[in-house]
Parts: sequence; structure tokens; C-alpha cells
Amino acid sequence: MVNFTVDEIHGLMNNRRNIRNMSVIAHVDHGKSTLSDSLVAAAGIIAAAKAGDQRYMDTRKDEQERGITIKSTAISLHADIPKEDLADIKEIQEYNVKAEKEKKDKIALESNDFLINLIDSPGHVDFSSEVTAALRVTDGALVVVDVVEGASVQTETVLRQALSERIKPVLCINKVDRTLLELQKTPEEIFISFRDNIEKINVIIATYQDKTLGQDWQVSPEKGNVAFAAALQGWAFTIRSFATRYAQKFGVNKEKMMERLWGDSYFNPFTKKWTKNDKHDGKPLNRAFNQFIMDPITKIFKEVMEDKLEGEKGILATVEKLGVKLTSEERVLKQKPLLKTIMRKFLPAADAILEMMVIHLPSPQNAQAYRAELLYEGPSDDESCNGIRECDPAAPLMLYVSKMVPTSERGRFYAFGRVFSGTAKSGLKVRIQGPNYEPGKKEDLFIKAIQRTVLMMGRQAEQIESVPAGNIVGLVGIDQFLVKSGTLATSETAHNLKVMKFSVSPVVQRAVEVKNGSDLPKLVEGLKRLAKSDPCVLITTSESGEHVVAGAGELHLEICLNDLGEFAGIPLKISDPVVQYRETVTETPRDERQPPGPDGLHPPIYALSKSPNKHNRIYLHAAPLDEELSVAIDAGKVSAKDDVKTRARVLADDYGWDVTEARKIWAFGPDTNGPNMVVDTTKAVQYLNEIKDSVVSGFQWASKEGPLCEEPMRSIRFNIMDVTLHADAIHRGGGQVIPTARRVMYAALLMAKPNLMEPTYLVEIQVPETAMGGVYSILTRKNGQVFHEEQRPGTPLFTIKAYLPVRESFGFTTDLRAATSGQAFPQLVFDHWQAVELGNALDPTSNIFTKVIQPARKRKGLKENIPDVNEYYDKL
Amino acid sequence: MLYCIGLGLSDEKDITLKGLEIVRRAERVYLEAYTSILMVSREKLEEFYGREVIIADRELVESDSDVILKDANSTDIAFLVVGDPFGATTHLDLLLRARSLRIPVKTIHNASIMNAVGACGLQLYNFGQTVSMVFFTETWKPSSFYDKIAENARIGLHTLVLLDIKVKEQSEENLARGRKIYEPPRYMTVAQCASQMLTIEEIRQEGVYNKDSLAIGIARLGSDDQTFAVGTLEDLTTADLGPPLHSLVLVGKVHDMEMDFIREFAVDSAKFDAMFPKNI
Repeated sequence: MVNFTVDEIHGLMNNRRNIRNMSVIAHVDHGKSTLSDSLVAAAGIIAAAKAGDQRYMDTRKDEQERGITIKSTAISLHADIPKEDLADIKEIQEYNVKAEKEKKDKIALESNDFLINLIDSPGHVDFSSEVTAALRVTDGALVVVDVVEGASVQTETVLRQALSERIKPVLCINKVDRTLLELQKTPEEIFISFRDNIEKINVIIATYQDKTLGQDWQVSPEKGNVAFAAALQGWAFTIRSFATRYAQKFGVNKEKMMERLWGDSYFNPFTKKWTKNDKHDGKPLNRAFNQFIMDPITKIFKEVMEDKLEGEKGILATVEKLGVKLTSEERVLKQKPLLKTIMRKFLPAADAILEMMVIHLPSPQNAQAYRAELLYEGPSDDESCNGIRECDPAAPLMLYVSKMVPTSERGRFYAFGRVFSGTAKSGLKVRIQGPNYEPGKKEDLFIKAIQRTVLMMGRQAEQIESVPAGNIVGLVGIDQFLVKSGTLATSETAHNLKVMKFSVSPVVQRAVEVKNGSDLPKLVEGLKRLAKSDPCVLITTSESGEHVVAGAGELHLEICLNDLGEFAGIPLKISDPVVQYRETVTETPRDERQPPGPDGLHPPIYALSKSPNKHNRIYLHAAPLDEELSVAIDAGKVSAKDDVKTRARVLADDYGWDVTEARKIWAFGPDTNGPNMVVDTTKAVQYLNEIKDSVVSGFQWASKEGPLCEEPMRSIRFNIMDVTLHADAIHRGGGQVIPTARRVMYAALLMAKPNLMEPTYLVEIQVPETAMGGVYSILTRKNGQVFHEEQRPGTPLFTIKAYLPVRESFGFTTDLRAATSGQAFPQLVFDHWQAVELGNALDPTSNIFTKVIQPARKRKGLKENIPDVNEYYDKL
Repeated sequence: MLYCIGLGLSDEKDITLKGLEIVRRAERVYLEAYTSILMVSREKLEEFYGREVIIADRELVESDSDVILKDANSTDIAFLVVGDPFGATTHLDLLLRARSLRIPVKTIHNASIMNAVGACGLQLYNFGQTVSMVFFTETWKPSSFYDKIAENARIGLHTLVLLDIKVKEQSEENLARGRKIYEPPRYMTVAQCASQMLTIEEIRQEGVYNKDSLAIGIARLGSDDQTFAVGTLEDLTTADLGPPLHSLVLVGKVHDMEMDFIREFAVDSAKFDAMFPKNI
């Protein structure tokens, strides 16, 4: 570190209005890491010459080899903007406008030094959970889009996630050099592709922005929150960069100039006037953006590539006039290296991007004011929530650990997170609240001291004495007490910060075994470390001792298993990938001998189970739950933690529930938050609430492992109809009721036309027209369903979108590459759960049984056949 | 024939002569050992009866009753129950199963806590519904007993509270995973019962009883070292009555004779006399 010390950063950390926490998000290969690297280069941490060639943010060997980012990486940067620009900072302007209305004191920044905490996150969909973890600790997002390929499904996924966390976006349109060098486009064509790309992003923002926020987060170049860049060449600009240059020349202020330099704005050379009219005397005018911005850039590109260098009219003389000074070594360069040198000096990427972030992205002081209620689970007026809203370093500590980062010490991790309130320092005793912690209870709670606080610096971690609210931090000594993420607090009344919701689910799994039995402890240790090091990976051990690793996709799983091999350091046997299914029901069984009820339906047939002592009996039936509702539950929009009455209203209004029943949901499951419910529909049963806990326990257990093949349940609603209980509490305890509740739910599931649901990918494929035949033949063979096909304007590329069962996805990418001579690039992202249509699950000759259920039962060491309903159903 | 034989309250010698004769000649002898326990070991019983005794735990009785009833049509099976077979715990389910298999059943009665509780001095005529007290957990505090006590108290009746025992119980986690791992046995004490009762009063606040309500703690009833402790519920929360089994009586309306009898067991005589002056 040349011009940047930990002490300096520590000084900046206290200046909360001068901090920007932001993540860089985009589709894979749109140039995030390259762009981040050039920012890092400008902050003086690695030599400027190497920016663009070296992937500083990719810290792992496999990341550098594969050329993709796998883990998100944080680094602190330092930026300064000219003092006179401080007044342009948007949040200060907004604050002062409001202050004037409310007759409060206005504020002004004193310092022009800014601390930017930047997190580079992976672009491949399989690692979206890393993006989620990054978003949680930041307030702003730099969305990077490849100008040629445009916003993809992954861009939309991550941007949507950012918006749902109330993270403000700014846009960077990257790879502008490609339009000039490869595609040889004219300035007007480039303008149109810029405009289309921006429009597409704005549609996403308009769709998913939190409307209740009352802020306009649309991006547009004339506002200055869109940058155009060629990250690989190290240059970028915003309209503001050029407006600053031209404002003086035209004698207007910067804001006015910015408006003139974008969109339908023209400078009429005949009248020397600005106009919105694109013609003069019937002759077309040159768009101002083209004339003043793209033309000069195109000229530099053209002349350097055509070697028109020396002399009066040579490009070297021209750029000199633009203020670009070249050294004598640089003057002998030619072609691309020269182009890169000139452009980087003419329009340094870091200057434009850092300036854009400082001016347009919110400081934690500003962002936490509107994010607090969204982040915090507790009441919005307690001391912890106030601390978050005010971003107050003197308030009780509220810190969210979003992931674990391996340290150089084997098996130990830094807990990586954000201080939202208070100050984290070594020796501070904190309450470590895991995701299942509930206020006032002792489960999932540890009280321990923070050993050390560190600053995460890409590859390294630097020790730092304390970290105040609004900053990103690494903690030593917390990893033993949290599995992946959680809340750290000092107030005893503190609730949790909201658990992160991932956009991907671990739907692909593989079983892992040791080759030598004696290595088992090493495997177990390795699995533990793997569970910590990845926010999304799911590790389970079955009753039969089978260890299963589940990931978001083939690539994610491959990376996880590589890590596991390294962590465990022993030879492993790895099974073929297996898909996770869900057990569901399709139809409520109805008793047609009985007359239909007021709803026109015959009454349901109830399952009945008796407790071991036969004194307690539970009657219930299973009904399908609206899949739309299950999706809402998965997304946390409807949850066990909601206020009962509000939730009942939502269920009644949006999902057609009976309000009275909606108020009597006992639980969600599995894991208390899954997409299944148990609902009390009994009428006046005495002491029912005394067995509620036991029934809920039985439900959690049952919904985790269904009777078909011990896969979790999905979209099932269990309605308890009646319960007979022993008169005395001692004879209706957990030992009696828990197994009974489970058995009756199994019986009810088996009686309600059970089926499996399978995970389905949304596949997006970019492919040249010539190779489309290959894509279609592979999709047909793999049971894919194409639902969208579109040509990208101005390119020979087609975008094809299809649904593909995850079960068919293994080897899909390889097959697709083979069938298209490597020209098709698929992105597979989990989209939804879909019913498996392979026949009746209970019919032992059906495809679903022989191809899915039986193999799964065999693998899990279960009896080959699904248990008969009478094993769970007790006759009266 | 299935014989349900009461073993009485305390040790191996409490069995009736009739019961003993059957035990000695029966084909198999089961001892139900999870709803209550005797204060002696199985070995001692076997030695006294001069034959093998099979321990019947909850699983065997509730889930595998066919094993117990096997061949009961042609041979005699003895099913031993601590106390009286129709006392505190009934095994109606087993009897119903026997009936459906057309197995004749005969009961040999014995003393039970339900009648021997009279030893504390309160008249059996004045007892109301019996209730049980289970071990509370963080989330499970059943309070249905409170309603029953309220009903008893309204007409001045005493309430016998039977205390939970946990012999060979699975933890909820093990139960949910179907693992047959059992927790160490636990027996509720009078002190714990009294404090749980006060917890519920605090929650319900209906004034059915309070910390100054009179109660009797009973330990090892029927044995040589049976113990009674009379005091307020608050007094009893700190009373140590020694090893199990314990029971508790919440005292209702008290007859003078009863009062004179229980005065003897007061944990704090001065306090008791102050609360209930002697009849001269």
C-alpha cells in the first residue's frame, strides 16, 4: 500500500457522510472484476500499469484459472473529488432542500476525502448467494452491463435483489471499445445501443423498486448516474465528465450542459444555438452527444488503429491538445497499447466511476435511515432500531455477519459483515444471535467477546482497532458460534437483523464418501468448513450416515466439492449429481357419499391416527396450497413472523383464504418457515392449545421428510379437523402427540393424490443464428420448453429462453457447446418448482415410481416400496 | 387369563396373598414400570416372587401389546401394576385389546395413592378431581389442571396432584428423529410442583389459589419413611422431602379434626399456629 494506511482509513470511518458502501453486480463476463481492478489501481494499492491485466479481486487460484469470480471480495478505497464538487452530491442537495422546507439547519461536507468500501461479487448465477451476502452489507450498487450483450437474466436477478434490499443502483455500460473496434459502429448507432440498454435497466428498476420509498431511482446519463466504460482499456466517462470540460466553453453551468449532451439535443452550427430539432433547413444535424463526445473518441480510435500518429494532424498532437501528456516511452507505442495509454490518460476510468459513486450513491448515514425498518425484525422504535436509523456509533451495537471468509489459519474464518449501529472493537462482549434466535430465549445465542476487528483488503486483512457504524468489518473469534450468518448485538432487547433470502436454492446434490473408513473424521471436519465458507451450500447427513452436499447448480457444486477436497485433504468418492424433489399433494380427498356442503363440495375425508396410549386421536386432511403462495413464503413475503392479523388479511385478499382460518395457522414448515402449513380448523376443542407445540413439532418433522421418499414437503396445507384428548395433561405429552401428529400427516398426504415437484431452471442462451439448430435439438432432447426467442438488435445474436428440468440439466452445458461448436452460452438459473408429470406416485409400475421414487428410496436405504397408508392410518 | 395385579405402594411385600399366588404360577409376569415405580429393584421382586419378571416399558405396553397378550387364552399372564390396576393409571387400552381377542381378564386390587392419601389426615370423601402435574418446558406449560382445581375449590374440595415421572422418555429431538435414546429418569418433587402451580397462578391470575394456600407435600407414601409436609404453597417451594415418589394435596375446606391431624406435619409450626389457632 503506497499512499494508503490503516490509520488513514480509520480516520475516514468516523466521517459517516463520506462513506460509500457499494457492490459491483452484473452478469458473468460483463467486466465487473476488471472494472473493480481499475478502481483498486486508482486507490493506489496495486501498480497502475497492471490494472486490467491482473484480477486483483479474484483471490483464489481457481478464480484466476477459470477467469470468473466465485467469492465476493471486499476492499476499501479512497477517493477525493474537487472541493467545488461537494455541493453536487445528491444526498446533501436533497437533505438541504428538505431542511429549507422544514426550516432546519443545512449541512455541508467539510472533507472531500471519501472512503469507498467496494465489494466485487460473482456474475455467474450459481454464485448468486454470494451476491446476496454482498448486497446486505452495502447501500449502493454499480450495475455493469456489456453494451453488446445487454442486460441478461442474471443482471435482472441481482438488480431485483438489490432493489428489494433498498440498494440504490448506478449504471455502467461497459465494453464500449467493442462497439468501436469489433463492430465498427457509427456514433449514432452507439448512441442508440446506449439508450436501449439504459431503457432496459430502467424497466427493471421501475418494476422492482420499492414504491413506498418515495425516491426516484431511474438512471439517466444527463443526471450523471450512468457511466460508459471500457474497463479492459481502463477508461470511462459520464456525461458529467464532458459537461465539466464544455461548460466553460459554452458559458453555461454544468447541469445545463449535462442536459444538452444527452438525448435529442443538437448544436446547430449555422445558428450557433442549441436546439431540440434534429434538422436545419432539411439537413440532418449531428446529435450533441455524438458531436461532442463520441466523435472525438471515435477519431482517436480510428487514427490510432490506422497509425495516423505523427505530424500536425497526427493523433499524438491532437491528444496533446486534450491535455493528454505522453512520456517518451509511451510515444513509441502503437495500435492497441497506444490506444489504451491515450484513453486511460484522457478519460481515467476510476475518476469517472468514483466520482459517480460519491455523487449519486447514498452514504450509510442516509441509506440506513430508510433501510432500518427493512433490516430490523424488532419494533421500529427500540434503541437498536434507532441506532441503525441514525447510524449512531455511540448506540448499542448492531452488526450483521453476512458470510465467512477463510483465514490463512486452517479451519478458521473471518466473520464478514456490516456495522449498522454502535462500534465494533476487540474485547467487546457481544450477543451472537443465530438465524433461529428469538428475543427473550436462549436458543441460538452465545455471549462472547470479539477477539479482533480487521479491515478486509482483497487478499489481505489488516488489523484495525475499532470499526464504527456504517462500515464493513471482518471479525476474529466469531466463526465458532455462527454457521454462516447472524446478528451481533449488545442490547439485551435486540431482535435479529433480517435473515438474507437467496434467489437461488440448493437444488442439485451429490453424496460424498471417504475411500478409507479411517478418514471419516477428516471428511466431517471438511464438511463443517465447507458449510461455513459458502453462504448457500447445504450439507446434510442422512440417518444411514450418507453425507450430502447440495448446491445451486453444477458449477457451484463442483467448486464446493473442490473446496471440500482441499479442506479434508483425503481421497473422496463422489456420487453422480442428484436432484432434490419435493413431496406434495394434488387433490383433497372427498367423501362422495356425503351430501355436498355450502361450498358445493363433498366433505373431505379425514385421516386419523391414535397416540401410542390410544387416548389421543387426531383427525386431519391434506389440501394443496396455492403454488403462488408457496413462492411468496419462499421469498419471505408471507412468513411465520408476520403479525397474525395482517397476514390473515393478505391471505384472504391475495390468496382467497377464509379469514378466520387464516388467523389460525399454527406453523409453517419445515424449519418453521417452509411452504407448508398446519391450520387449526377445529371447533371448540378443550385443551387444544396444550398439544399445539407437540403437533407443530410433529409437523416440522413430517414436512422435512415426507412418506414418499423422505424428501421435504411443499405446498401442503394440513387442516386439523378434530382432536380427542385424554383428560389429564400427563397422558397427552410430547411422547404421545408428536409421533401421532407425524403419522396422521403422512396418512393424509398419501390419501390426497401425492406427487413430486421438481426444480426447474430458466435457461437463457445467447447464440448466433447459424448455431440455433443445435440449441433446439439439445433442448428438445432434454425436455426443455422454449418460451421466448429474440434477436438482439444490430447483432447476429439470438437470445433463447426456455424452461429445463434440473434433472435433465446435468451435462447440458457440455452437450450444448458440442452441438454448437462452442458458440452457445447458456445461463441456468433456478426458476420454479414444477409438478413431475410421470404418472401416479403410488403406482409401482409408473415412471415416477421406477425412475425417481424407487432410486431415491434405495439411495437413502429405505424399504423399496412406499409404506401403505394403513401404516399411518388407525381405524376407529 | 390375563391377571392385572396391584402391587401396592411401597415394596415387594405389599402384594396381596392372592396376587402372589398368581404370580408364582403364571406363565409370564410383566411389570409395568413407566407410570409409577416401586421403591425396590426388579431383582428384589424376582427374589421374593421366586421367578423372572419382565419389565414392560411404554413401548411394549402401548405399541407391542400383542407380545404381552400372546397365548393368554390358554395360559395365565400376570401384568403387575404399581398401586391399584384401576387407581391412578388405568390400562384400559390393554384390557380392550384383551377383550377383542376374547381373553378373560381378572383384577387383583391393592392400595393406591388414590386411597392411601387419606393417611395425611384429610378425609377421602372431601377430595375432588385428581390432576397431574407435568414437567414444564420453555414453551409447554399446560394449565388445564388449573381449571379442575378451580372446580374443586369452588365447592371446598381437596385436590390430589400426581407428579410427573419420566422413566425412559425420549427427548423431543430424539423422538423426532426416531432415535431410541432415552433421557435419564426424572421425578418431580413437591417443591417443583408447588412452584409450577404458582407460575400458572401468576399467568392466569384468577385467584384459584395463591402462595398462602395450604398444601400438603407427601413423599414415599406407604413406606417406612413416608413423610408429610404441611405448609403454604410458598413454604413448599423450598421444602425438601427427600427421594421420590412425591405427591401434593391442595387443601380445600378443612374440618376441625382434619386440621388437628395435619398440624403435626407443619413445616413451620409457629406460622401454622398463627394462621390456624388451635381449638381449645
